[in-house]
Amino acid sequence: METTEPMRSSLPPATWAGFLRGFMQAQPLSIGVFVYGIAFGLLARQENLSLLESLAMSFVVYSGSAQLAAVSAMGQGGFVHLDAITSIAAAIILLNARYLLYGAALWPWMGGAPARITLPSLFYLGDGNWILSMRAHAHGERDVLYVLGSGVAAFLPWLLGTWAGSLAGGLLADPKALGVDFLLVGFCAAMGIAMMKARTDWTSAACALAAALAVDRFAPGGWTIVAAGLVGGIVTFARFRAS
Amino acid sequence: MNIRPDLLPLLFAVAAASFFCRVGGFWFMRLIRVTPRVEAALKSTPLAVMIGIVAPVAMRGNVPELAALASIAAIMRWIRNDLVAALVGVSVVAMFRFVGF
Repeated sequence: METTEPMRSSLPPATWAGFLRGFMQAQPLSIGVFVYGIAFGLLARQENLSLLESLAMSFVVYSGSAQLAAVSAMGQGGFVHLDAITSIAAAIILLNARYLLYGAALWPWMGGAPARITLPSLFYLGDGNWILSMRAHAHGERDVLYVLGSGVAAFLPWLLGTWAGSLAGGLLADPKALGVDFLLVGFCAAMGIAMMKARTDWTSAACALAAALAVDRFAPGGWTIVAAGLVGGIVTFARFRAS
Repeated sequence: MNIRPDLLPLLFAVAAASFFCRVGGFWFMRLIRVTPRVEAALKSTPLAVMIGIVAPVAMRGNVPELAALASIAAIMRWIRNDLVAALVGVSVVAMFRFVGF
């Protein structure tokens, strides 16, 4: 662990030990990702996607909400015509807009790393592993491969879950009964409580809360995250006092 | 068990859209000078995002989720372990749903 902030121009550390730390610490998240993957596999099966097509979708999109929306749209309106393709791609950009924010927040940490590390790290980025990584960074983690390690740890069960769901058909009755849809929410609540300290910008947090609740009324899902993250960042930016 | 050829354009489009979102924000930061003010703003986003994930669920006011969030808060006060807290939260949700909430 380094105690001083590394220079922006210097290369950040990148070791297998860092990759492994991320990989291991993300394991609890992988349970929830696996079951969510099953849910997608089941729906994709219902919409007549083959196993390989479901896996390809999970591989290139890797986002539950976006894939569920894309597959439902395919079931309703086909997917061959240009306007259908354009509207599905646009829906994915809107549903995944929060990743623009996630990537920006990783810049101070990873901006100095080479593209052969940053590109795969961003490719495998998910909600859980991003939050985990930002928290690790706040606690002194500087190894950039931590992000890739935790990302791969969540990506593999996503593919595995898709595979299982696509094959299983209707075997798994209802993942909601097991409460797995709550796992990410539970982690966020616990980590959020752990993160709140005396130095927390409470005004920023309160504004993020207000933004999330306001947006949730007419655009639930990914947009509450975008609104909360943007508003929280902007308020902190506006209230910043150099110490 | 193959990929239909007429599905390929869609797959390329969704792949490009997803990759744009993942790389776009990171790439955009190239154009911005990271002052302490910008860095403070970026560092405040994780907590804000967590609020954005938790708040709508709490707002729905369903008993299983509210009970789970309360038990998570209690566990974080006592033993400060987020893994234990999250897993207990999941089992509380499952139990409440099992008994019919």
